Amino acid sequence: MRWTRPWGQLRLPLRARVMLAFGLVSVLVTGLIAILTWNLSSSYMLSQRQDSAVRQAVVNARLVQEALRRDSHDLSELLTGLGSQVESAVLLVDHGQWISSGNLLDPRQLPHALLDLVGQGVAARQRLVLSEVPVLAVGLPLPAASATYVEVFPLRDLDRTFHFLSWMLAAGVVVSGFAGALLGRWAAARALRPLTTLTAAAASAAAGDLTIRLPDTRDPDLAPLTTAFNNTTERLQRRVIRDARFAGDVSHEVRSPLTTMLNAMAVLQRRRTELSANGQQALDLLATELRRFQRLVDDLLEISLATEDRADLPLEPVDLVELVAHAARDRVGGEPPVVDAADPHPRVLADRRRLERAVTNLLSNADQHGRGLVRVGLLRHNGQARIEVDDAGPGVPVADRELIFERFARGSPAFRDPSDTGAGLGLALVAQHVHGHAGRTWVEDRPGGGARFVIEIPEAGQ
Amino acid sequence: MSLTLLLVEDDARIRRSLALALGDEGYTIVEAPTGEEALRYLATPAVTVDLVLLDLMLPGVDGLQVCRQIRERGELPIIMVTARTDTADVIAGLEAGADDYVTKPLVASELAARIRALMRRAGDHGGGAAFTVGDLRVDPAQGRAVRGAQDVHLTKTELRLLCELAAAEQRVVSREQLLERVWDYDYFGDTRLLDVHIRRLRRKVEPDPGQPRHILTARGQGYRLVL
Repeated sequence: MRWTRPWGQLRLPLRARVMLAFGLVSVLVTGLIAILTWNLSSSYMLSQRQDSAVRQAVVNARLVQEALRRDSHDLSELLTGLGSQVESAVLLVDHGQWISSGNLLDPRQLPHALLDLVGQGVAARQRLVLSEVPVLAVGLPLPAASATYVEVFPLRDLDRTFHFLSWMLAAGVVVSGFAGALLGRWAAARALRPLTTLTAAAASAAAGDLTIRLPDTRDPDLAPLTTAFNNTTERLQRRVIRDARFAGDVSHEVRSPLTTMLNAMAVLQRRRTELSANGQQALDLLATELRRFQRLVDDLLEISLATEDRADLPLEPVDLVELVAHAARDRVGGEPPVVDAADPHPRVLADRRRLERAVTNLLSNADQHGRGLVRVGLLRHNGQARIEVDDAGPGVPVADRELIFERFARGSPAFRDPSDTGAGLGLALVAQHVHGHAGRTWVEDRPGGGARFVIEIPEAGQ
Repeated sequence: MSLTLLLVEDDARIRRSLALALGDEGYTIVEAPTGEEALRYLATPAVTVDLVLLDLMLPGVDGLQVCRQIRERGELPIIMVTARTDTADVIAGLEAGADDYVTKPLVASELAARIRALMRRAGDHGGGAAFTVGDLRVDPAQGRAVRGAQDVHLTKTELRLLCELAAAEQRVVSREQLLERVWDYDYFGDTRLLDVHIRRLRRKVEPDPGQPRHILTARGQGYRLVL
């Protein structure tokens, strides 16, 4: 299933998307709460401050009104006292005459709109910035003295508190956004953990281990996936075994007629001279093809024993130099190979017969498909014993390097030897036997041209 | 003097072709299509058979039974023919008393090589001096083993194996050496062949085959005979 999205190329990985979603949601929620908190607390504090300011202004206005009525000269003293607080001020407009007192502030800068309003006999208050100081101006008409009283209260403390509060809330939103993202990351990792297990299991299944199963789970979200995966590998494994068994059965069935043919052929070959020239040629053709057929049947049987475990292999210590020397003895024609062996000789725990079969197949592959064997390297490398078989051929194209280890995959027709009698199972058998020894096999370019087939299996402990 | 082989094989075409090809190798062949017929032929007085080539898959009395019955009567060398190399099949055949085995498709010339190796050990008992293993007195020259007054029947292969172990004078003989000296297998023979024969030998030599005191296993190396 595949669906496209408008931002197709820009799709983030699942984990990042979950993180982003969690982060956004938590920013949204905490942001909303922060705004609410800000509004409620700031308006509450402001109204508290205003109420107390108004109360104080009313008391002070009453004192000023008293002083005006008595017309005493206490007034200027009183006004000076009232305006002496830092960043506060008082202004008295008495019959058009402005009497003011202020510490650091000049109350004559108060907006006229406010003064006019109070002058008309309406009590008023206003928040404003006076000489860069946030203040609250409370204006009260003094009807008894037909004067106007304005008192200015500093709001710097409240402003600082608001500042602090807003910073705290903003920081809280940012932190909760990050925390949300982290939570998202954790949740994604946790939710994806079964997927990680599945990925690992699928990878080993793809690498050929069909015995792998996911552990049973009671999680209703995961159970169908687990069951489906396990069923799939189970069916695949059964199928592989069935295929192998079929190949084995075919091979066995073919063995009886093959026995008859080989022995009849031996009888005929003994009497070759009794035949005409044409008869002899035909007999030789038949003999060659029969031997090829026999090899194919042998390979088929050998490969049908694929499902064997390493535990079933009769393992014994094997000196690779000896093994290669023995394998090379069976080569048809050709010089003895140049062997480049590490000292001391690499040794492995192996099923001698199977490993030798793998080496024999690589040697004959070099002879038949690689224009001749150039060198055999027997090396040790990071705890692995390594067999390198170099040939003089054109090498194997990168695209074919895995394919040639498949059954019945021969070299591409371009560089196939016309006298090739390979059955197409040789390299597949190599791969299988090496796999059975917990090893790896691959082909690479030989430095200087040609192909290098490599077998690597764990070195035997001393 | 040509050797006489009893060829027990139910497939007529295989039997005919093998008889022809083995005839070319210089053997006299007696053909038997079933186990019953083979046993009947062997029971006939005055017939000489030097070796039995026995297919394990026979209709009626199967190859394993035939093998066991031949063993009960004596040490006639037996090479069994198996279609499958499955462990169970080969081991069952060897336990039943076969001296060696070949798998199909078997070719007369290769078979002749195995027969020669087997007949050589049947004729040559190592020629060494007599020796005693526990309470068993072994006389290679006569091809006999005696416990007290009682004859212990060892097949030619078992006797040869015991002699090879004895010749090493208590030292370990490797599996490869034993396979080469007793069966003529170079480099790698089937070690199951050796292991089953050791088991068979222990049953005849050891007082308690489960706790061997004479034929000892040297793990990862081979076997050792303690007299």
